[in-house]
Amino acid sequence: MKQVPQKDAPLKLNESATWIRDDVSYEVNEPDAYALEEALRQKEKHGGEVVVITAGPARAQTVLREGLAKGADRAIHLEDNGFVGLDAFNTAKAFAAAIKDEQFDLIFTGLQSDDYGYAQTGVILAQILGWPHATIIMHIDKTDAGIKVKRELEAGFFQNVDMPLPAVLTIQSGINKLRYATLIGIKQAKNKPLRKVTMDEVKSSLGDNMQKIEKLYIPQKTKKTEMLEGPPAEVAKKLVEKLKNEVRVL
Amino acid sequence: MACALRLSQLIDAHNAKNPSAQLTKENIYLLEKSRETGQHCLSGALLDPRSMRELLPDFEKEAPLDAEVVKEAVYFLTKKSKFKFPITPPPMRDHGNYVISINKFVKWMGQKVEAAGITIFNGFAGSELLIENDRVVGVRTDDKGVDKHGEKKSNFEPGYDLKAKCVILAEGTRGSLTKQLVARFNLDKDRNPQTYGVGVKELWEVPSGRIAKGEVIYTMGWPLTTQEYGGAWIYGSKDNIVSLGFVTGLDYHDPRIDPQHILQEFKRHPFTAKLLEGGKMVRYGAKTMPYGGWYAVPPLGGDGWMIIGDSAGFVNSQRLKGIHLAIKSGMLAAETAFEAMTKNDFSRVQLETYQSRVENSWIKEELWKVRNFHQGFENGFFEGMIHTALQQITFGRGLHERYHGVAGHTRQTKLESLSPSGDDRAGIIGPARGDGKLTFDKLTDVYHSGTKHEEDQPSHLVVHDLNICSTRCTVEFGNPCQNFCPASVYEMEDSADVPGGKQLRINASNCVHCKTCDIEDPYQVITWVPPEGGGGPNYDGM
Repeated sequence: MKQVPQKDAPLKLNESATWIRDDVSYEVNEPDAYALEEALRQKEKHGGEVVVITAGPARAQTVLREGLAKGADRAIHLEDNGFVGLDAFNTAKAFAAAIKDEQFDLIFTGLQSDDYGYAQTGVILAQILGWPHATIIMHIDKTDAGIKVKRELEAGFFQNVDMPLPAVLTIQSGINKLRYATLIGIKQAKNKPLRKVTMDEVKSSLGDNMQKIEKLYIPQKTKKTEMLEGPPAEVAKKLVEKLKNEVRVL
Repeated sequence: MACALRLSQLIDAHNAKNPSAQLTKENIYLLEKSRETGQHCLSGALLDPRSMRELLPDFEKEAPLDAEVVKEAVYFLTKKSKFKFPITPPPMRDHGNYVISINKFVKWMGQKVEAAGITIFNGFAGSELLIENDRVVGVRTDDKGVDKHGEKKSNFEPGYDLKAKCVILAEGTRGSLTKQLVARFNLDKDRNPQTYGVGVKELWEVPSGRIAKGEVIYTMGWPLTTQEYGGAWIYGSKDNIVSLGFVTGLDYHDPRIDPQHILQEFKRHPFTAKLLEGGKMVRYGAKTMPYGGWYAVPPLGGDGWMIIGDSAGFVNSQRLKGIHLAIKSGMLAAETAFEAMTKNDFSRVQLETYQSRVENSWIKEELWKVRNFHQGFENGFFEGMIHTALQQITFGRGLHERYHGVAGHTRQTKLESLSPSGDDRAGIIGPARGDGKLTFDKLTDVYHSGTKHEEDQPSHLVVHDLNICSTRCTVEFGNPCQNFCPASVYEMEDSADVPGGKQLRINASNCVHCKTCDIEDPYQVITWVPPEGGGGPNYDGM
């Protein structure tokens, strides 16, 4: 689960214009909230344990607390400011190192993050672990041999895939309806185990970032209004032409 | 937050001294309707550090204080010019105070509270007081997952009945539970009606050199006429951020007055326009504040309850400050609650001692001197200044011991007796159009408040009689809800179903939780209730 700047937060660039200043409000990455909800539902159906994991500075603990309050059993926090600047490849490597002693059957991630939007971390993590993966998941069923998942394709098409376990699934937003954290859940979350992993513990697994943001800028607003004038029939004609040839939506 | 923190300090000190009689913080809970602590907090803000120094003597070393006040000025504005007061009136001298973002400050306090071991339930509003045999025994939290027709959704989560020996109401201005409590126990008996102002605020980032960090400017006069109460603030914060806003007294006559429009008009004054030129508006918000003063403060404690901060009306309307009083009142309530815990006595007699603690503290001392201040302005600016001068030399008394007041909403005049053009008020009535650079229409401003609600939920603005809107109100006052609401929640839309041809549409998702509608509606048919917890504005940096 990733902590990302709130969607409507007023963003300011940092001094080197490579990322934003971090004095904004944060929230749980929305696709990750759906991934957690799906994990909780699978646990409710089939038993087991849900572990939430994040990489980020101390403030990122909030998303783990939220996960624990909603019903996760324990949490792992890769805690360091340095995790913010990792590319998807290194982030996946860090996760793989942090969970090397765990025995998971399924790893759920959101399809992508609302900030970087790489949609890579889950997929690369599967590669590193040597597990199969499937993306854009809309439904999960347990089968005798493993799981059957429904993937969303373009234009209303879906694909059903049988997969063995363990596997990594990246979850599409809207797959389920999110639950609310309960008062009791929030209270209990305080006493659930939270393991912290330092940068030093995973450093040896990381390499140089293969991807780097050179420059970030806020686009100039270029909204232009054009008034079409004349009798209605003529204006309608002009409008259709514009929509066809300039905007190309018809 | 101050109340929780003080209570925690007292319990820690007690436990250190009494190993055999330990008190626990396990059952102290803080309900906060915003998703993140501080998100719904809006103020200028200037902090008088007096109470914080009592609460955390070293707070200045670690609290998010944006600037120390270094310079202040008060101006009287006319349409084109400004006149500087030769000396800054003593109540407006702010040396030693800090420019803060109340949002960041409360967030920081929240972290302290959590670190002290007290649980904050974010995203949970108190929707109802639980009362048994005239005793407050707890709070019911809001139901979650109810759709707009009142039906349960698949993720429905019912509210909890949180039973408590003591409920401390710290809901801010015009608290919805406080309102229930006041009505139930007639707490407004023999009090002046509470009067309010609504502060409409914008945060700007301006080119450097426009205003000093820690510079404080107040203005009076234009664009208001002498008949309206109110004024503007401009504070220079760090990183070229300017906080500016306009407080309009919610006791004006002309129901067409629009407080958001007033702020836009104010920005068009050459003085302000120059300050903001080339800058960018980054955040918007609005909140009411209680002006009524000491004579409008309700009884403060009773069977199972206490009221603190803005909910009790602890604002010094002359100094335009209430944060320090809110903190102090929270501390005094915490001391009362702590004593109650040690004695295991939460009776009326015990909790009423909070009243005497306030009366023996500097809260009373400070508010007593300005007890008649706002009432003095009921007949306009000039008479107000004379009353203020008289009160200044008579330790707050003025012409008579107690100036009475009337509830502000009753002062609205019917349209038939108003000039259609608005005359002097032409620039502040009806909706602001906005040029998109210096001035903004309401929807653009609301967008910058970061307001977000679950869309599929019942309206949390409950209008008890929709008939009045399309009949009497249209004719008599021209539906002032469209004007006084700074967030475009209320809209009269064409409809063939009603006789007048227009009916009220409530855009509840726009609501910034300022409570103006609950206060200013001329027929008092609007009740603000908390929406599903977590919804509301996001006052980052405000």
